[in-house]
Amino acid sequence: MSKQDITYGTQKRHMGMRAAKTLSNTAVYIILAVISVIWLIPFVFIVLESFRCECHYQVGYIIPQKWGFTNYIELFQKTDFPKWYLNTFIIALFTAVIQTFIVLCMSYTLSRFRFKMRKALMQFMLILGFFPGMLTMIILYRVLKDIGLTQEHAVPGLILVYVASSGMGYYVSKGFFDTIPKSLDEAARIDGATRAQVLFRIILPLAKPIVIYTILTAFMAPWGDFVFAKYISFGASAGMNVAVGLNSFLSLDQIMNKYTLFCAGGVVVAIPVVILFLCLQRYYVEGVTGGAVKG
Amino acid sequence: MASVKLTNVKKIYDNNVVAVHDFNLDIKDKEFVVFVGPSGCGKSTTLRMVAGLEEISDGTVEIDGEVVNDLQPKDRNIAMVFQNYALYPHMTVYDNIAFSLRLKKVPEDVIYAKVTNAAEILGITQYLMRKPRALSGGQRQRVAIGRAMVRDSKVFLMDEPLSNLDAKLRNQMRAEIILLRQKLDTTFIYVTHDQTEAMTLGDRIVIMKDGYIMQVGTPMEVFEKPSNLFVAEFIGAPKMNVLKTNLVKEGDRYFVTPCGAKIEVTGYKEKLLAEKGVQGGEILLGARPEHIVLADGPAENAIPCKLEVNEMMGSELHLHVFSEDGTRWIVRVPTIDLSEEQRQHLTNGADLYITFEGKAMHFFDPETEKNLIYGEE
Repeated sequence: MSKQDITYGTQKRHMGMRAAKTLSNTAVYIILAVISVIWLIPFVFIVLESFRCECHYQVGYIIPQKWGFTNYIELFQKTDFPKWYLNTFIIALFTAVIQTFIVLCMSYTLSRFRFKMRKALMQFMLILGFFPGMLTMIILYRVLKDIGLTQEHAVPGLILVYVASSGMGYYVSKGFFDTIPKSLDEAARIDGATRAQVLFRIILPLAKPIVIYTILTAFMAPWGDFVFAKYISFGASAGMNVAVGLNSFLSLDQIMNKYTLFCAGGVVVAIPVVILFLCLQRYYVEGVTGGAVKG
Repeated sequence: MASVKLTNVKKIYDNNVVAVHDFNLDIKDKEFVVFVGPSGCGKSTTLRMVAGLEEISDGTVEIDGEVVNDLQPKDRNIAMVFQNYALYPHMTVYDNIAFSLRLKKVPEDVIYAKVTNAAEILGITQYLMRKPRALSGGQRQRVAIGRAMVRDSKVFLMDEPLSNLDAKLRNQMRAEIILLRQKLDTTFIYVTHDQTEAMTLGDRIVIMKDGYIMQVGTPMEVFEKPSNLFVAEFIGAPKMNVLKTNLVKEGDRYFVTPCGAKIEVTGYKEKLLAEKGVQGGEILLGARPEHIVLADGPAENAIPCKLEVNEMMGSELHLHVFSEDGTRWIVRVPTIDLSEEQRQHLTNGADLYITFEGKAMHFFDPETEKNLIYGEE
């Protein structure tokens, strides 16, 4: 075999490899594109429906014949939607603040303090976390009803429900705190800081991604919750959040008049979440993956 | 500025491991005390108990006459420098140094004066606005020292502050710590595993092993009068040569008989042995490498050896030799004392004779490993 043959053979093999690579890439991209289209259809559908003005019920086509904001205007003027929206916002905001505070304190404690039964407590919370929250539904309702925090007064009740078990969500932030050297705590304590000052002035500024991650998850859970909100508000419109309220549009007697309003509501609910994520996604990704990297 | 007193201090961990046994020490005001020992000897644990970062299992720690066992670190009025610097990464150098003062709500103009003064002393003024990650190891350590300096604390604690630096920088920083000590004029407790640091820095050295104090003394004391074999081998580099041999008493005179040679114990050592009433018998003989000399040729007091390794250190040679019975010795020979002829002779496998001065010997009990002269009863 001459040198030329070898070179030619190598070139051919290279070309073969390149072609195979292009082919497999194309296949992968096509599959991914199909998946994302399937995934996006409901969203596009809802947005289009929300701008449809010719009628309020379901039709057999997707693109509206008459475009406009009537659905949005009706939603805010003729239904309880503004109340639900405000309810949801209050619940999510309070939950985010209180839950973040509890989770971060809990994580710091479990990361830095050594006390009796610490391991047992962590394992207990881990196992407890495996049970679905729904299991507590009946007793929770009973308790909240007795102290008068259901139906019209569901908002504080729901905040209580969401915040109550928040300490158990310590894993991610504890993992992150564990990577921050303990000598920083010690140096700060010798410098005259209390444990709380160590947490708020040294640890949290270093754990910014995890703080934002915790706030986001704490905000998101009640923002989209349906089950707890549904049974604690128990049919009282004044205590509903957006998910429960909008769901009532889909009941048999209302769906003919309010189907497009439901779609408009869906879009309005998504707006703050999208804005939040756009602003904070950099931290969010860092927060999810950051725990594994030594800080 | 304060005295520190540790009385029967003990540290027992949850798994019943005893890290520090009955630690007793009186540190005088403005004294520089160094805790030294191999890793795991309890030196850092003891320091951390003084700092309040580690709970004291038993005994008391007093600072300036006040028992501080139950005080938080922040209430003990101490400053500490850590091995890994422990600078706050999200703050500038200025903020790092100012942190403790801000917690105390000191007025900003006072803080400014103190921080810039400390920075000037440490030569880090041009880095004040930088974040710690933009600094080299030596600069970071200076910032850590600066942070401790501005607190005007009673006791200055240092936990292996030079261990993370390279050899050259370590020597330089060591000298700077000596200067700093002169400027601050306060009580220092310094932890290290490096005997050179201990010897050069300390007014007194506390040598520890397995949670016990082996000896407390000035650098000269622990070097010349080691109370036991551990201290003798730990202090001094290269370490002391030790071998089992016999001490023979002939009338008023003492002789040792290593490897068939017979070397007389002379000078004050002989007198001290006699005073202690030491009879002959099997002993562990210690001789520091720098006290061993090359003999001219065969003699009663010379041990025939073969040269195995010749390490050229510049100003001196470290000769690794072994005698007929297999004992290995390290001999330190100043190069300036050697003729060209002698230097050429010192090749691997060369035959040579070593001996040592009678007054430079150390004698240890083979069972208790205590120094027969200086060991405590």
